[in-house]
Amino acid sequence: MKKVVVAATLAAALAVLATAAWGSTKGSTKVASQANASSALVKCGKTRSIGLLAPITGPAASLGQPQVHWAKFFVSNYNKTHRKKFKLVPEDTQLGAANGTAEAVKGAQALGSSASVLGVVGPAGSNEVKATTGALKGAGLGWVSGSATNTQITLDGTRTGFFFRTVPPDSSQSKSVTGYITGTLKLKRVYIIDDQEAYSTGLADEVQAQLQAKGVTVGRDGVSQQQSDFTSLINKIPRNTQLVYLPWQLPPKGKAFGQQMKSQGRAGVKLMGSDGLFDPLFSSLGNNVYDSFFPLNPADKRVAAFKASHKGTELFGAPSYVAAQVVAGAIDRACKNGTATRAEVRAQIKKTSIAASASLLGLKVAFDKHGDMVKKPFGIYHSVKGVFVRVA
Amino acid sequence: MNWSLFFGELVSGLTLGSIYALIALGYTMVYGILKLLNFAHGDVYMVGAFVGFFVLKWLGGPLAPAVTGWLAVAIMFTVAMLACGALGVGIERFAYRPLRNAPRIAPLISALGVSIFLQNSALLLWGPQFRDYDTFDLVGVKSYHIGTNFFISNVQILTISVSIGLTILLALVISRTRTGKAMRATSFDRDAAEMMGISIDRVISFTFFLGSALAAAGGIMFGLVFGQIFSLMGFTAGLKGFTAAVVGGIGSIPGAVLGGFLIGLTEAFATGYLPGGSVYANLYVFALLIVMFLIRPTGLLGSPVIQKV
Repeated sequence: MKKVVVAATLAAALAVLATAAWGSTKGSTKVASQANASSALVKCGKTRSIGLLAPITGPAASLGQPQVHWAKFFVSNYNKTHRKKFKLVPEDTQLGAANGTAEAVKGAQALGSSASVLGVVGPAGSNEVKATTGALKGAGLGWVSGSATNTQITLDGTRTGFFFRTVPPDSSQSKSVTGYITGTLKLKRVYIIDDQEAYSTGLADEVQAQLQAKGVTVGRDGVSQQQSDFTSLINKIPRNTQLVYLPWQLPPKGKAFGQQMKSQGRAGVKLMGSDGLFDPLFSSLGNNVYDSFFPLNPADKRVAAFKASHKGTELFGAPSYVAAQVVAGAIDRACKNGTATRAEVRAQIKKTSIAASASLLGLKVAFDKHGDMVKKPFGIYHSVKGVFVRVA
Repeated sequence: MNWSLFFGELVSGLTLGSIYALIALGYTMVYGILKLLNFAHGDVYMVGAFVGFFVLKWLGGPLAPAVTGWLAVAIMFTVAMLACGALGVGIERFAYRPLRNAPRIAPLISALGVSIFLQNSALLLWGPQFRDYDTFDLVGVKSYHIGTNFFISNVQILTISVSIGLTILLALVISRTRTGKAMRATSFDRDAAEMMGISIDRVISFTFFLGSALAAAGGIMFGLVFGQIFSLMGFTAGLKGFTAAVVGGIGSIPGAVLGGFLIGLTEAFATGYLPGGSVYANLYVFALLIVMFLIRPTGLLGSPVIQKV
């Protein structure tokens, strides 16, 4: 019996040791493969590739399409004036689809395994940024989002040196929103409904805390992005509510909510969306609709040229133009000697410095140590005859 | 007591329940006749919503329909119900009839296959994006106030009335017509009905036609009330319709209607009154299903099946 116990103990110890050894080998393999991907030398050639992660189809396609159009607009402008060309390698993330961030991860993996891709523009959502971190970081890629605004995705340190963004964080957005609600609109009773995603709950938390600190009575609720029936939720909103704040990412849902508010006899309540709802679908709800959006220089001649060539006002995608500009600039600099590694491209993204005059945003684009822009103001817009007009 | 909230949730629950009741009727009729859980039924409801949408587009869209708004709605209902009725007959002919004498698990798996086929076909044909019914532009949504606490919109009134009207019509078809009599006989004893000269195939096809047409009406109502439709909308709605049929007593027509309203009211009142209700309303709905299975497995109006041993 004693022999059996000793043998069993030895076998168990051996199994533990083997598992630990396998785990450590696996860990070192992972680190090694990341290092390999980062340092693999790529011949730049005449045409360089930039990955593009965007919700090209799906519930957020109305946001993703402008991002694709603006990124393509940058590439076509660049290619007209340069001997070396760029091409975009698009991957559809289907933001807001029923299978969550699975498509975004698949797209990131595809870009990571494509040896010619040196940098990535996107993805659109903060949740997608979190979900794709493993695949993109593992492949040594630097990526620049033109719309992911969750404050923590740059501050938590998980993707420092790899992830950058050409939009201000929600901490900046929440200050602009709170300031406008209390300072300009002078409202006292606000109801906030988040959509249960990282971007939305983070922004909602910040706005709620800041409003309460200023003495505003704030109600709070949440609803899934998969939901289409908001009538029961609307019934819960107190009758004396002056404004409902919706930090959501899907404009069709924002529109459905606004329409159901009207059909429930709440047409008089003001609605304020976040950057994710900056879309004609949301502004079409009427004159009591407000929104917060990224900085943009509307006087820039490229904005006019884009409007003329695309017959529309898809401004949501403008920061993706800047993101493409950042990645292309970094690849150009890294490719000076004809070859580049993904690590070199990342280092060059970090060193980005686009003058205010050359930036579509109307301000200098440079990144701090976290990957956020050094300057980061947010604008407030009001829907006038169905079109958003900047008011603050 | 916040009466405004109470009446608001009551109207929301009845509206939602009307839609679930129409889906549940299809489940319960097919189960009553074939003892089959037609899991593709939710997707027929989705197809109905899309057919209605494309009819609306064909009529010139919600902003400038070629006919008046309400006539456009009537045409949408008619075309979608006929189209989905035909789809239901087709599904039964090609996916279930060849398996009629197979073990019961076979048609069940076939039903799941049809459901996935319809979902993916819709994604392929129409994409995953939302489509707008734009009910405001189409019919001009109006709210009616009774006192200070009770209000209801014209579209909600339409939804509840159409649902009740179609249920009464169905009850009349089943109780007063020859075909209805044949349906009841087939449901009671299929072999005996066949021996009495009833064409079982025709009765089953007619049952699928009716159930699918009702689901299509439910799909259009969803689009009118909530403004938007999408390719994957049938999955959850189908599950809730099935839950409604089980809660009411599967096989029972009044039970399906009662179950539908009960599920709709549970969802609305859970959202309004229970903690985290707006996020976890579905949890409360399916908890109701489990409770019902535990305390009354045959459902509210279902009767226990006595088996000769």
